[in-house]
Amino acid sequence: MKSKLPLALLILMGIFGITSRFIPHPGAEALNAYLRDTLLRIISAFALILGLGNLILRHWSKIKKKEENYGSSYVLLISLTVTAIIGLFGGTSGEGILPTRIGEFSFDVNTLYDKVMIPLGATMFSLLAFYMASAAYRSFRAKNTLAFLLLASAFIVMLGQVPLGQALWSELPSVSHWIMTVPNTAAKRGIDLGITLGVTATLLKILAGIERSWLGGGS
Amino acid sequence: MRVSNWMNIDRRWIFLAMGLAIVVPLLLPMRLPMGVQEPTQGLFDAVDAIDPEKQCLLISSDYTPQTEAENHPMTVALLRHAFARRIPVISVVLYIEAAGLIDAAVKQVMAEFNARATTHADSIIYGRDVAFLGWQPPPIVPILSMGESITGIYPVDFYGTPSDSLPMMARIQDYDDVGIVAALSSSSSPLWYVMFAQTKFGVPVGAGCTAVMAPDFYPYLETGQLSGMMGGMKGAAEYEVLVERNFGITDRARANEGMGSQSIAHVVIMAFVVVGNIAFFATRRKEGQA
Amino acid sequence: MRRFGHLLVPLLLCTLWLPAQAQAPPGGVTAKDTPSDDGSSITVAWEPAPGARGYRIERAAAEEAFETVGEAEADQRRFEDTGLPQDVPFRYRVVTLGAGGFEAASPPTAPVMAQPQWFNFDLFGVAFACVAFAGVVVWYIARARRGEKLFLRRIAGLDAVEEAVGRATEMGRAVLYIPGTGYISDIATVASMNILGEVAKKTAEYGTKINVPNRDPVVYTVAREVVKNAHIEAGRPEAHDPNSVHFVVEYALAYAAAVSGIMVREKPATNLFLGYFAAESLILAETGASTGAIQIAGTDQVTQLPFFVVACDYTLMGEELYAASAYLSRDPLMVGALKGQDIGKFLFLLLLVFGSIASLIFGIDAGWLLATTGY
Repeated sequence: MKSKLPLALLILMGIFGITSRFIPHPGAEALNAYLRDTLLRIISAFALILGLGNLILRHWSKIKKKEENYGSSYVLLISLTVTAIIGLFGGTSGEGILPTRIGEFSFDVNTLYDKVMIPLGATMFSLLAFYMASAAYRSFRAKNTLAFLLLASAFIVMLGQVPLGQALWSELPSVSHWIMTVPNTAAKRGIDLGITLGVTATLLKILAGIERSWLGGGS
Repeated sequence: MRVSNWMNIDRRWIFLAMGLAIVVPLLLPMRLPMGVQEPTQGLFDAVDAIDPEKQCLLISSDYTPQTEAENHPMTVALLRHAFARRIPVISVVLYIEAAGLIDAAVKQVMAEFNARATTHADSIIYGRDVAFLGWQPPPIVPILSMGESITGIYPVDFYGTPSDSLPMMARIQDYDDVGIVAALSSSSSPLWYVMFAQTKFGVPVGAGCTAVMAPDFYPYLETGQLSGMMGGMKGAAEYEVLVERNFGITDRARANEGMGSQSIAHVVIMAFVVVGNIAFFATRRKEGQA
Repeated sequence: MRRFGHLLVPLLLCTLWLPAQAQAPPGGVTAKDTPSDDGSSITVAWEPAPGARGYRIERAAAEEAFETVGEAEADQRRFEDTGLPQDVPFRYRVVTLGAGGFEAASPPTAPVMAQPQWFNFDLFGVAFACVAFAGVVVWYIARARRGEKLFLRRIAGLDAVEEAVGRATEMGRAVLYIPGTGYISDIATVASMNILGEVAKKTAEYGTKINVPNRDPVVYTVAREVVKNAHIEAGRPEAHDPNSVHFVVEYALAYAAAVSGIMVREKPATNLFLGYFAAESLILAETGASTGAIQIAGTDQVTQLPFFVVACDYTLMGEELYAASAYLSRDPLMVGALKGQDIGKFLFLLLLVFGSIASLIFGIDAGWLLATTGY
């Protein structure tokens, strides 16, 4: 029963999900909209509560047991609490019920967003530039003809995608565009075709009840 | 240092070189010639073709602050273009993290235009010319629901005002009233719009994406499912140039400011790859001789 | 000449007036319920009227006067009147807009009602392709059910999973399983959950610790059940650590930062990156590579594959990710489905080749067959 009920629900919803794509009747659309707009959101909200609960309990237990690196769990729990308090009572731009302003500095959601989230996020993303440089240096070797062709194409695209390339040779962006639209697109379509059929077959396996690992096992 | 040692340069040196390549051109800006590639021109033309009396531009800014440098100038450039042509703009976000950025962008571009405006008709007025409808989760829900009713899925705007009380929303009901959806993203949201909104409701879709995602979108440009695309910061810079050339708008163009850094950074990466290959071949030759 | 001068003005007026008077209404005006729609539109069609500069389409409900619902250019032959209520009869007429402001209206059509349909025939090609593909897969599953042995090519990345778990066991360190940064609605995430089941079974058998940090709360709840049940299936429920699957943060790059921290602090022997990945892929894979862990990655995000290829020991590309659970479990039914998928792919390729030849040589456009635009 424990695995049959979810499976039955899945088959029902799966078949409805597929067939509704081909049914223009407003009744089908209304049911689809209800499932999508209402039920899916309720499930997401409950899952978030579960996730947050797990996060808090896990780090609380780390602190209690004084596990390795438990100091960072303090950082996490304190940040979580402070953010929640500011979010709930500090308001978006200092209009909340808490006195969140010290002089010119305001502890509100906007401050958290502008002064913490944006710089931290941008820092993480900018790491990519450094990692790309180091990974390219380490592994981009013209070991054979094909690898050489790949390297040459990469150089053309890299130069063609920046104004400097155009300054060097005005036709370089066009060559780069051709590489992106013809060989790149051809290869991508080939992989995409396989992926799409793989997705469809995986869905069929799930709907047929053959693939049940996601339910936590075969039995 | 022997050539064979060039194969094992400590990655911290690479990081330092990259850091300098990015920071120095930002401090000492350089103006490089900027051509406009086909995908960016396609998006510009599609937006330009909107009849402001009949349809609006829907900007779906689906990026997080992490990709602000690449995606945010796209939002600003599109807003400038739309405001210059008096095309009504509806702005939405599929990720909550983008909301603060878009709020700031809408206010910034409105202020730019209103500083130059001389009459009430010239001004950009919130609710008449632009509406920021905010965020509704999860992404698939607003994408599909906007085909039925935009104010239905966004009952209030980002600031809590009932959407149907905004004057412009009286004539903008669903995708039929949208000239093009410009999905600016650090993920696959332009493709979600193609898969769900375009196939079902027939709305044209344009993309703005990070450079690393751009190859994903070329097949859709080829088939015409995407009307155009801004690929990475370069795409945003090209759009800024188009807006400047066509409407004489010379406000700060942040993507163009980054082009010097991007050019030098690409050259530095290529230089390291070349150094690595020289060392590789030198080592191989030595091993062959031995 | 002067004698006929008094006739000239009326004659000139006649030449201007006669064609306008001859302005004919459009012929063969029909109004029909738009097929394959949700019951909110009626399509009006007509034959062109000579000299027309455009058309105005008018609609009238029973006993009411005609009102304009739209205009069409001179070269248009049809008009779709949308946003109509269901089952309400309407009559239509089309007015020719001629030169000099002269107009001519067609006789009204018979009353017609907008009604919803239960199948969108515009998507017949797609529906047929889906059914045909499903048929091929089901047929191969049936063959596998009869006990037929089916060949599977070697996938190095998947062969390495067993070795990677074994290595972690020998080193007494954990296996770090990263199910990607997608949602449960991404099939790559579902495929990742399927692989997680198999990997968790192996770690349970070997008594190796598994660590599964999650970005999405829904994926977290599914992963928790998968790992728990894998331990039960492996006959080692007591070895299950409820903290092994945990939620980290929804923000993708913050998640990458947190997982990079886990890699650097806990130094897992094996890192498995399987599922949907975006820009964070290289941050994760490079950090993992710097800790010396054996790394296996797999994603259907083509743009992230190059990053995994340079930073990981093995990479599953695209559909190999979907094949993984069948390959690892060797369950005959799943292998059968995989075989069906291959045959399906072959049939699509044939269609592609014949379609291209037909289009290039004979100029046949069969695009309508797989049209994806809906109603």
